[in-house]
Amino acid sequence: MNRPLDLYDIQGNICKGYGRFGFPKARYFFLEFHDYAGGRNFLQQLIPLITTAEPWTGRKQPDQSDKPAATTNIAFTYHGLCALGLPRRSLDGFPQEFKMGMKPRAAILGDNGPSSPQHWDPVWQGDTVHAWVSINGQTQETVEQRFADIEALMQSVQGSVSIRPGHKGPDGKMLPYQDASAVFENGKATPKEHFGFVDGIGNPYFEGCGNDPERLPGRGKLNRDGKWEPLATGEFILGHIDEAKEYPLAPEPHLLARNGTFMVYRKLHENVKTFNDYVDNMAKDFDGSRELLMAKFSGRWPDNGAPLVLAPDDKAKAELDQKMAELQKKAAEGDACAIGQLKALEEQWINFTYNDDKHGAKCPIGAHIRRTNTRGSLETEKGAFDRPGALVDRRRLMRRGLPYGGHDELTNDDSEQGIIFMCISASIERQFEFVQQQWVNYSNDFHLGNDRDVLIGANNGKLTDKHIVQVNPKEGKAPFFCTHMPRMVETRGGDYFFIPSITALDMIAQGIIDPT
Amino acid sequence: MSNVAGKAYGMNVLTPLRWWTALWQKLIFWVVVKTFPYFLKGLLTLSLIHYARWTIINRWSFPRLDKSQPKEKLSYSYMLFESNFNGSWDQYIDSFSFAIPSGLDMFWRWNIKYPKSIPLHDFYNYIRFNQIESGHYYNAYPLAAANDVKTAQKLFTNLGTFQQNIANLNDEEFLQAYQQFLADNQHSLGSMGESPLMSASHELVQEHQHANIMMARAAGKQEA
Ligand code: HEM
Repeated sequence: MNRPLDLYDIQGNICKGYGRFGFPKARYFFLEFHDYAGGRNFLQQLIPLITTAEPWTGRKQPDQSDKPAATTNIAFTYHGLCALGLPRRSLDGFPQEFKMGMKPRAAILGDNGPSSPQHWDPVWQGDTVHAWVSINGQTQETVEQRFADIEALMQSVQGSVSIRPGHKGPDGKMLPYQDASAVFENGKATPKEHFGFVDGIGNPYFEGCGNDPERLPGRGKLNRDGKWEPLATGEFILGHIDEAKEYPLAPEPHLLARNGTFMVYRKLHENVKTFNDYVDNMAKDFDGSRELLMAKFSGRWPDNGAPLVLAPDDKAKAELDQKMAELQKKAAEGDACAIGQLKALEEQWINFTYNDDKHGAKCPIGAHIRRTNTRGSLETEKGAFDRPGALVDRRRLMRRGLPYGGHDELTNDDSEQGIIFMCISASIERQFEFVQQQWVNYSNDFHLGNDRDVLIGANNGKLTDKHIVQVNPKEGKAPFFCTHMPRMVETRGGDYFFIPSITALDMIAQGIIDPT
Repeated sequence: MSNVAGKAYGMNVLTPLRWWTALWQKLIFWVVVKTFPYFLKGLLTLSLIHYARWTIINRWSFPRLDKSQPKEKLSYSYMLFESNFNGSWDQYIDSFSFAIPSGLDMFWRWNIKYPKSIPLHDFYNYIRFNQIESGHYYNAYPLAAANDVKTAQKLFTNLGTFQQNIANLNDEEFLQAYQQFLADNQHSLGSMGESPLMSASHELVQEHQHANIMMARAAGKQEA
């Protein structure tokens, strides 16, 4: 079953990770509306610039591509929707966590100590941000051009809309926007983030998303027979049936919600020096390479993202690399058989489960990707649940982030670098907040007590802030304990946003949202 | 009033049943438990649960505090569902409904106006409507989830055995035995800590309780 969605009504960032489509540069900025009419007037003029999820036909042949030079998307906080004059009844229908916004949820999200809201960038202090605007570009110039266009639109409404400044940029300078960019090596965009891991591999596949069906295995939901099926649309887009066979909680009228969704925005600072020092220190006693230890944190090898279940130790990784290199060489020479084998091998980067790794001897049970997408692994007794992925299918996150700041040579803890983490889901509470609270900062579901994620957990350098690298008990080796884990990642700001459909955006702009 | 104590949540749900289906249902419960089918496996695998218990109370057998308490004339028999679990209400109901929906339906199927466990929000409403809040809820080990207790017990027993077996080992042998001990118990070594916050509402309650204690202390000092 593949029900078509109206991709022209859905904002493009919901269905497309722009990075993957050749847009390595981005700028995010935040608006404040000062009066209803001017704000709505501005939106009306902005709508023609908004990028939809329409398919780009020429993706595989760049010269014929119909994709734009720059994209633009917009989303609103609850306070933003209030400022635009939505009726009370519509506002009341939004989910509670969205109405509260991110700051009051700090205790749920583990935003404590250096991550507490009082340390966030000035843009998040005081009054609430009203809207988020994003521009993605194939080059920095196209981003800046689009930014100038939008600034001009704002001027035309004379003070009704302003940009909220206060993003900490390089050298501590305050900027009116947040720039983000893929990490470049030798002039080429890479999929790396600043700790040195390849990122952006695992993302969900849902019914009607318009993506190539070849991307389904490993990204959809796991069936009992080991095959993958698209997740229900309603897990990611409002107004469509979700995995519980109902419509997601959404405001009235239907047209306001349908084809819209929610987005989490978080500026996550990476303490690169702390991270490197910790890895160096732990690697001294670790039976394996530094890279293997890093992989034991994330669940994937840093250099090429190969999952640990595919290559669980240094020897297996060397063999895998060699096999890849040989196949790539033959494939480049046009060997059809090698091309097929290469494709099959590459599919294993995403199409895997933890079924053969119950003990976590390959991929530790507390590794970042095993926590954040448990695949079938919470069904510890086969056949216990209705589906192997029963406990994860409704906790999936569509990640849409990019790294910001930093050059690899310059990075220490104080320099500005990290990830602008954005994730899209139909319920912020059930999907993002649950994963962040229960699986990142807690481990009861994994039978690991209060242990936290190495990379992004709210750790504080205490003995009990630890990660266990499990072993196969039959091999007579002890598990490896990474203790005294410091805070590798700190939150520097963020909020919860509603991404309306084009229809809803138009209705908001006209001021005709009417739940009567 | 709170249904929350430390890492635990206590849930009581009392749902009406026609008196004759109650009899029939008792039989079904009995058969299910005897044959230990798939549903119980699902329940046991949901490790956030301390326990879950379904009791059928016939309409003529409601307890009275004393013989002097007049007998109630009830139209329905009732099913009392009691559970203690780790995590919040939503997390629990969600996990139940995602993982073992058909099992739940089997237990509640004959209850009046039971909507089925999917779609989820009808089930939410049914449970909320019939839930009886706890007047008092006590937890002797607020930092421990059921899994923490189970793993601690396992570790305790295994450590005892280990201790008995190492007396005559030389250093080399001890190292070997110790490493094997760690490997064998690697799933029982999670850190112990505070409960994650169950909800923003519960955070408020905690703040208020804290304020109440501070006020009471201040008042106590003044009196002294
Ligand atoms: C600076 C912060 C972060 C870093 C450095 C980081 C790093 C990584 C890396 C290296 C991967 C493996 C590559 C891939 O599968 O795409 C990954 C995957 C993932 N991360 Fe993160 N991450 C961060 C924040 C977060 C947060 C806040 C969440 C959610 C609460 C999250 C959820 C995920 C998910 C869902 C996956 C995909 C897992 C899968 O499908 O197998 N990450 N992350």
